[in-house]
Amino acid sequence: MTAFIIRRLLWTIPVMLLVILLTFLLMRQIAGNPFRRTARAVPVEIQQNLERKFHLDQPWYVQYALYVKGVFTLDLGPSLTLRDRSVNDIIKEHFPKSLELGLLAFIWAIAVGIPMGVIAALRQNTFWDYSLMFVSNVGYAVPSFLIATLLIYYVSLKANLLPTNGWDGGWQYKVLPAFALGLAPMAYFARLVRGSMLETLQQDYIRTAKAKGLRWRRVVAVHALRNSMIPAVTAMAPTLGYIITGTFVIEIIFSIPGIGRYFVTAVSSRDYSVVMGITVLTSFVIVLANLVVDILYGILDPRTRDART
Amino acid sequence: MSVPANPRDAVATPGGTTAVGDLAAPPSAGEAMRRSSLWRDAWRRYMQNKGAVFFGGLFLAFTLFCIIWPFVSPYDIENDPVNFQEAWQGPSLKHPLGTDQLGKDLLTKVALGGRISIAIGIGATLAILLIGVVYGSISGFAGGRLDNIMMRFLDALYGLPYLPFAIIVLAIIGTNNIWTMVLALSIASWFTAARIVRGQIITLKENDYVRAAKAVGARWYRILSRHLLPNTLGVLIIAIFLELPGVILGEAFLSFIGLGISPPDASLGSMAQEGRSVYRVHPNAIIIPSIAIAMLVISANFIADGMRDALDPRTRETKEH
Amino acid sequence: MGLLEVHNLHTHFFTREGVVRAVDGISFQVDAGKTLGIVGESGCGKSVTALSLMGLIPKPPARIVDGSVNFMGRDLTKLSERQLEDVRGKEMAMIFQDPMTSLNPTLRIRTQITEVLDRHYGYSKEDARKRAVELLEEVQIPRAAERLDDYPHRFSGGMRQRVMIAIAIACNPKLLIADEPTTALDVTVQAEILDLLEELRREHEMGMIIITHDMGVIAETADEVAVMYAGQIVEQAATQDLFDRPEHPYTEALLGALPQLEGENVRGGRLRSIPGRPPDLIAPPPGCRFAPRCPHAGLGDGCAEHLPELRELRPNHSVRSRHPASERAGERQPVAT
Repeated sequence: MTAFIIRRLLWTIPVMLLVILLTFLLMRQIAGNPFRRTARAVPVEIQQNLERKFHLDQPWYVQYALYVKGVFTLDLGPSLTLRDRSVNDIIKEHFPKSLELGLLAFIWAIAVGIPMGVIAALRQNTFWDYSLMFVSNVGYAVPSFLIATLLIYYVSLKANLLPTNGWDGGWQYKVLPAFALGLAPMAYFARLVRGSMLETLQQDYIRTAKAKGLRWRRVVAVHALRNSMIPAVTAMAPTLGYIITGTFVIEIIFSIPGIGRYFVTAVSSRDYSVVMGITVLTSFVIVLANLVVDILYGILDPRTRDART
Repeated sequence: MSVPANPRDAVATPGGTTAVGDLAAPPSAGEAMRRSSLWRDAWRRYMQNKGAVFFGGLFLAFTLFCIIWPFVSPYDIENDPVNFQEAWQGPSLKHPLGTDQLGKDLLTKVALGGRISIAIGIGATLAILLIGVVYGSISGFAGGRLDNIMMRFLDALYGLPYLPFAIIVLAIIGTNNIWTMVLALSIASWFTAARIVRGQIITLKENDYVRAAKAVGARWYRILSRHLLPNTLGVLIIAIFLELPGVILGEAFLSFIGLGISPPDASLGSMAQEGRSVYRVHPNAIIIPSIAIAMLVISANFIADGMRDALDPRTRETKEH
Repeated sequence: MGLLEVHNLHTHFFTREGVVRAVDGISFQVDAGKTLGIVGESGCGKSVTALSLMGLIPKPPARIVDGSVNFMGRDLTKLSERQLEDVRGKEMAMIFQDPMTSLNPTLRIRTQITEVLDRHYGYSKEDARKRAVELLEEVQIPRAAERLDDYPHRFSGGMRQRVMIAIAIACNPKLLIADEPTTALDVTVQAEILDLLEELRREHEMGMIIITHDMGVIAETADEVAVMYAGQIVEQAATQDLFDRPEHPYTEALLGALPQLEGENVRGGRLRSIPGRPPDLIAPPPGCRFAPRCPHAGLGDGCAEHLPELRELRPNHSVRSRHPASERAGERQPVAT
């Protein structure tokens, strides 16, 4: 198991390098230069000075190498448009809010979605199954901005129960955004777990467990649950991608000063280093999540441990 | 990341049902005769699934509505004069969904927006499949070292965050029209399709009739085009409807944060974005286009589920009890 | 009185296509320390019979609609699910056909053995561990103590079946049901497993039911045989008598389909297969279920109209046919009216 984890950890390094390279090359294609964008003519010397300062006069591979060095020394460089602010500062200020929002959404999606799927599977073709799956089908299809709008309109504006926007200032601010963001993943987990639970309950080893005279509670909790979690764990990584996408939308609706909202601004103002920094950071989060998923997978299914160490 | 294929064995059908007689043959080999009856069986199974039939009909009906209604509608969104007296009306006989801030008919606007959303959705899905088929079949067919390198590259791409990636692509292109939206959406989400195609090609490659074709000296492109790709069709059709909801939602998200296609054209997502500034007073401005999006997404989900069950009878057996 | 007495058991599957009469009125008895073999083609209802005894049929769609299963003085069909759970794995245990899928891939062998001890006897962790080692030694798994903490995928098919047997005998059951215990195994391993089962049956004085489609397995293990066809028992006899003097045309066909190594019976090395297919169990033939495939059924003899009763031809040999071999006198006679 340790060897497996070390191998997976090492594998993340080339992945990160490639992701940085791709983002880097893409960013170079964006038309425009932050120092040449303004209508007001900047003297040529100043322009050249700035470009030298930010290594924009160097060939691309030198810039890339410098950037990679920066990433590994945890220095993402200065912002190109905001004076005296480094990308690190910007991330430090905005990222924790997005992370908190994402985690809250993810936690509630799992905490509700998985039991929902299990209950629906155990009560297959009953009223419970049908109503839970109805909720799940709708929750999976409705865009999060509709949920957010409805929540703000009815809960905040009409009933005046919770604040309409913002983030800092207590739990009241976090309920609606986290709920809206987590609804679709919750529905997704419920569907997935229901399907895999039903499939697991058909397996021969479940029949063996019943033949041992085990109580149904134990058959489900020990024999069925663990095996049916495997697809759910596999699905966690793509779900995280969805949640990252979702934070962009939710942050805008609820005016949360998170990293997603900042990213959109940075792209339009051609702030290369900020865009790069945020992209690399989110990639890192995704790669890290994939690593965690693989390890969890190894814990849940002993066969993969042998196969891959 | 390498997500291992689920190693568990096939579902065992409990005792009695197997006694009834042969179950429908799984979609295995490429005998032409059996293939036609396979599709007929799949069609029959699909039609038995009430949810899938209902939502399939809904999808079709909504698409037809979007195509036809703007021609039939008494309103011309672009050329009708602005009429503030009729702004923000509720539903009525004259305007079944009410009117917008300029007094224009929302039903007609939804049809126009739906057209663009569906066009972008289908366009991007086809693009995803095209890239996926090319990449996946090269990788799967070549095998060996090239396959390994291509798959590792794909693993790395999985580390790319979808939306930031799409946003950067849009920023590179600079203009936002239907084609750039299709490009941005497909370039960031073809990885899964490529994996599916590769897996299918690798399985099929081991079939006897492919080996036989090789043995008689068939050229690689002939094997690929005559024997391998036609047999991935079933999987690809399912994949279309599996990808479609994600792409439609992706487009809606991009539009909603202001990166959608440029006015005067508007997709359902950009309609919702227009409503962002007024939804506190007129929530319908967001709710109506969003419900249309939800309808498309939920229909595509049910169609995909129905197709998967129809083309893979094994999964259906477990559901019957 | 027998250890297990099954009387007129009917297990039906209620499916969309109709009612599948998988087990349709079977009766038999198993005595303590004896082995009953149930033999038949796949789909004849033999596995469903075994699952019905254990109360493991999937319900829905299956249900025991009639009959009784008397085991150690109780009718199992009348017990509640919780009461049945107390019997299963303790007094009546079962091993299954495919050892590759019958063990839980995500749990250690140790857990899978000890949980049954814990369930029925409330063994402490330490006692259960000791007992588990003993059991693995009893089923002849080498280095038992070390292998206890392994996961199933590290075991071969034959070894996994041994683990399954260890689980089944953990609580010293009175009756062991083995459903095709060797079908999924290599030929070389099959004999070992059968020997092991036989040895364990003798030592533990268990009654045993062996379900198989292989007449060779029956010959090796069973004291008595029931031949099943289309949900019914068509012939029942002591093993020796059945092999020496098969009566039912179906049994004859099964034995004819058995490869013989001794000289004259080798028909060019080819197996004789039975023409036709087993009947549809949703709408079985109204008369004798074997009639459509039977070489002896003729027009006007009533085979196709009336289901023959299971009748005793001689002591301890019953048959359900109008044309048992001993009444045919070698040649097929035209039916007299």
